[in-house]
Formats: sequence, structure tokens, C-alpha cells
Amino acid sequence: MIEVSHLTKRYGSHCAVDDISFTVEDGGIYGLLGPNGAGKSTTMNVMTGYLSPTSGTVRIDGHDIVEEPREAKACIGYLPEQPPLYTDMTVREYLQFVAELKGVKHKADRQEQIERAMGRTGLDEVMGRLIRNLSKGYRQRVGIAATLLGNPKVIILDEPTVGLDPAQMIEIRALIHDLGQTHTVILSSHILSEVQAVCDKVLIIAHGHLVAQGTPEELAGQLAAHGVISATALGAPAAVEAAAAAVPGLTGLKVTAVRGDEVSFTAASESGADLRAVLSKAMADAGCPIISLSSQTMSLEDVFLQLTEAPAADSGKSEPEPDAGAEPAGSGAGSPAGGEPEPEPSAEAHAEPQTFVPSGDAAAEQKEEN
Amino acid sequence: MLAVFKRETRSYFTSVVGYVIIAAIFAFIALYYAANNLIFASSDFASILNASLLVLLFVLPALSMRSFADERRNKTDQLLLTSPVSIPAIVMGKFLAQLVVFLVPVAFSCLLPLTMCLFGDVSLTSAFSAEFAFFLVGAACIAIGTFLSAMTENQIISYLATFAVLLVGYMMNSIQSLFTSGNTMAFIVFGVVVAIAAVLVGLLCKSLTAGSAVFCCGAVVLILLFRLRPVWLLNAFNQLLDALALFQPFTDFVGGMFSLPGIVYYLSVVVLFLFLTGQALERRRWN
Repeated sequence: MIEVSHLTKRYGSHCAVDDISFTVEDGGIYGLLGPNGAGKSTTMNVMTGYLSPTSGTVRIDGHDIVEEPREAKACIGYLPEQPPLYTDMTVREYLQFVAELKGVKHKADRQEQIERAMGRTGLDEVMGRLIRNLSKGYRQRVGIAATLLGNPKVIILDEPTVGLDPAQMIEIRALIHDLGQTHTVILSSHILSEVQAVCDKVLIIAHGHLVAQGTPEELAGQLAAHGVISATALGAPAAVEAAAAAVPGLTGLKVTAVRGDEVSFTAASESGADLRAVLSKAMADAGCPIISLSSQTMSLEDVFLQLTEAPAADSGKSEPEPDAGAEPAGSGAGSPAGGEPEPEPSAEAHAEPQTFVPSGDAAAEQKEEN
Repeated sequence: MLAVFKRETRSYFTSVVGYVIIAAIFAFIALYYAANNLIFASSDFASILNASLLVLLFVLPALSMRSFADERRNKTDQLLLTSPVSIPAIVMGKFLAQLVVFLVPVAFSCLLPLTMCLFGDVSLTSAFSAEFAFFLVGAACIAIGTFLSAMTENQIISYLATFAVLLVGYMMNSIQSLFTSGNTMAFIVFGVVVAIAAVLVGLLCKSLTAGSAVFCCGAVVLILLFRLRPVWLLNAFNQLLDALALFQPFTDFVGGMFSLPGIVYYLSVVVLFLFLTGQALERRRWN
């Protein structure tokens, strides 16, 4: 079990992680989700003892990472964003070294663990090759195999699929899923669909704050109460709009498409009550019959957008420093989304220094997966 | 510690670096040996090692430059620092691996005085005690290089910084002779030291008052000393410069003396700089 309480990490005047608390129970796959520069890598680096917290504590299985680093670190297998590989070694030599480093005492024990780790990560074919000559996907696997050595309870993976091609991405996700059967896995990602597909529980981090946690379903459910209705009605756009606007409790009316006299629009229910029946009756009364009507629940993506953008608007005003490149590990690993490193000079641009673009990203993701 | 030590040693011997360093050091010792002992027929082996000290200036920084700088650049330090191994163990593992590489040419050169026995009477005790001191000098250079390597992630900067520090240590005797002028020079130099200390304290505590306070206290003490006991200041200054003359204690061994203070001096340099290396790694985690 990992208990993170009131964790804060400052780099000079910049606060990368601000008072984050959460608990990770044994078993299952946890996802740290957030745009680039949100503080995911920093959180993981502090949890694994690479960095020291400015304040707050991290306890791994009851061992404080600052007070009893040896015991705490023995419980963790950590794969940083850039796999820490010695490229002048072969895969087998490297795993041998890591096993010794992790304090696996007996030679037979080491051999057995290395064999098992290589078997699980599919490294048997390349075990005699120099790491320098391996592809990015294989390097990532070597990194994951190394985390398994020493039988840690918890495996922490920082952006394990960044920079991989779609096929490798799917393989690594399957591998993570497999690891979740035997270990507690914590992974970070800025890709929603990945977290949704792999993780049992999600922690959303934005601007150094923990903004939400729960299962993907719970998170989606949290805001689904604000039911969004999408509907298409027959009639003149102005008339349809007027009629829908007249329905009490309905807000955020937006016409999305007009085809002939078919007007499509979306609207949200203020109180969260289901307004479909009321809307349908009101439209019929106004002479604009509804031809299709559906209630949308928010996807995790919408939740994510809402959660990560709201604090952005606040903190953006109070602290004009854009946190592009705030993560020390170097977030420039080539992620397509969240990469607006150049803040525009206007005040509005500062209000949302890190506009996350999940739709484009998710679409690209899905395309890749097909 | 053993794991780090084994990996480092292996990496020096699988790449060309280790062999080049071994070859360079041994080649120069052998060269002086051939010129001095074989051709000139001198029975003094220690002076050869004294002449070879200059090679260490150039070669040992190349040995130590990658130890921590490379880890940091490749981010492999993340593996070491998140493994259940303490920082002193990591530092020791790396230091010992470098010592092993350096030990190879030293061990080879131990054979040279033995060959001289074939031709006549040679004091092996003085030769081997000089070898031992030579090894300690190298260990001190490696410790300094390891520390400077932990301060940067650029190997070239690490090499140049180590070389510069060793060079200053090497030339300290001649530098010292420039400063014989007396008390005023000592006063100025100590003043600069106090100012640097004050700036560091101010930066570390992030407070102007602390820095100014340190400077004022230091300045008052210095001025009092300068007025009342200028000789103390001068002696302290000379002793400070003596302590910086890294290669000076070795000359005792050349004269055929087994100098215990010399050994203590080199061991202290090693311990001090390995400790500082650990502190440098530790400090990076807190920033």
C-alpha cells in the first residue's frame, strides 16, 4: 500500500506538485492522468525516492521514503519516462546488474527471476543483443523487465507508451494488463483512451493538484448527472431555438447543425433532472416536432477536460508562469497533445496556458488502434 | 555496492577507455624507466614516478569524467537512486572501479624495479613505498575527478574542471612563491574567501541579512587579526596554500622517506571528496 499525504514539491519558486494526497491499495492498476507539465513525473520521482519532497510524506508499505529509503525502495520497481538503460550492455547483462542492484542475493534466485522477467516481457529472442541496437519498443520492455526484478510489490511506470508505434503500444498495454494480475501497477499517461482501457482506478492531476479520483466509470458518472440532451427538431432555426429556450431548467442551448428544416441542437439540464419528456412536449406544443432525441452522458474525456481546464483558468490568472517544461524529466518526449509551449502574449491566452486537446488526440489514438 | 562496482569495472574494460588509460600511464612510466634506469643506469626508481605525475594530470580526469556525468546525462542515475542502495555505496562502487583501472598500470610498473635487481643493488623498499604513494596520489586525483563529475552532466566540463584543479595543485609551489610578498596579500586573499563564503551563505539561506552578517563578522575578525597578529594570518595563508599543493607530499617519498603525514594527507583528500560527491548527489534531490 502506498500512502501519499500532503506532498508538495517546489523547484525554486515554481510549485510542480501542490499538496497532493492519495492512497493506493494493493492490487489493481492505477492511472495518473494529466496534461504535460501537470506534475505526474515529479509525483512519481518523489514517490520512488529520486527526488525529495519539499513537504509531505510518502509511505510505501509503512516505510517512509525519506526515513527508511532502503526498505521503501525495495518495494518498488520504477521505470522512468526515459528507460535508464546502459546501452553498452546486453539485455541479459543489464538485467543481471539490476537484479544485483536490487539485492537479489543468490545466483540461482537471480537467474530464475531474470528468466521469468524476460519470459513475461518477451525478451528471450534479444537477450544476447546490445541494448544500443534495440528498437524503442524493446528498450521499453527491457525497462519493464528490470522493474520486475527483486519482486517488488508495486510497479511504477512513467508514460510507458510514449514514443512507441501503435503495435508496440498495444503490446505494452497488454503487458501492463498482465502485470496488473500480480502486482500493483501505477502508470502515468496523458492519453485518456489508454488510461480508460488499462486502469482500474484513475487519479487526475492538473497543475500540481489532484483534481479527481475514482474508477473511470465513477468519474464519468460524477458529471453525468448534468445530463446533456441532443435533439433534432423540424422547423425554422429561430423558432426551434426560441421554443427550446423557453423550457424551464434547460441551459446551454447550442444549435449544432441545420439541414433543410431539420435543426439539431444540444442543451444541458441545470438541475441534472431528465428533461427529455418536458422538452419533447414543449417542442410539440410550439409546432416544432422532435424527430430524434437522446441523452448523452459525459465521457471520461469530457470529465477530464472540465476538470483540467477549470483550475487552469484560475491558476493561469494568479500565476502567469506557463508550466511548459515544468517537469524536470523533460516532457519534450514528443507528445502530440497538450503541447502549446509558446504562450501567447494576450491575457486570454494566459487564462488557459495548457489547453488539452483530447478529441484530436483520442481520434488519432483510435485511428492508430484500428 | 558490489553491483555498481562490477558494472563500472566491466564497462571500463569493455570499452576502449580503460585500455587507453592503462596504456598511457604505463607507457610513460616505462619510457622514463628506459631513459633513466636502463640507459642512464640510475638505481633510483622513485624519481621516475615523480616525473610520471604529470601524466596523471592528463589521464586521470579522462577516467573519472564519465563516472557521474554520464549517468546523469543518460538518466541512468534514476535507476541507481531509486534502487535499494545507499548513496555512499554507489559512490564507493564507482570510486573502487576507477581505482582498479588505475591499479593495473601501477601493478605492472611494480615489475620494473624487480628487473633492476638483475643489474645490481636496488632499494626495493623505497621503490615500492614510492609506488604505494603514487597509487595514493592517483586515488586522490580520482576522488577529486569523481566529485567534479557529480557536479555536471557534461563529460567535457568534468574533464576540464578536474584538469584545472589538478593543474593548480601541481603548480601550487610555484604559485606560492609569487605570493611571498607578505601580510597584505594574505589579507586580500582571506578577504576574498570571506566574501565568497558570505555570498554562498546568503544564497543558501536566501537571505541578504545572513550573507551580510557573515561578511561583517568575517571582515571584523580579519581586520583585527591583520592589526594585532599579522603573523598568524600569514602562517595560516601559507599553510592553506601548502594544503592545496596536492603533489607536494609525494616528494618525501622520492627522497626515500616513508612519510606518514603524506599518506594521511592523501587519504583525507580521498575521504573528503568522496563525501562531497555524496553530498552533491544528495543535494540534487532536494533542488
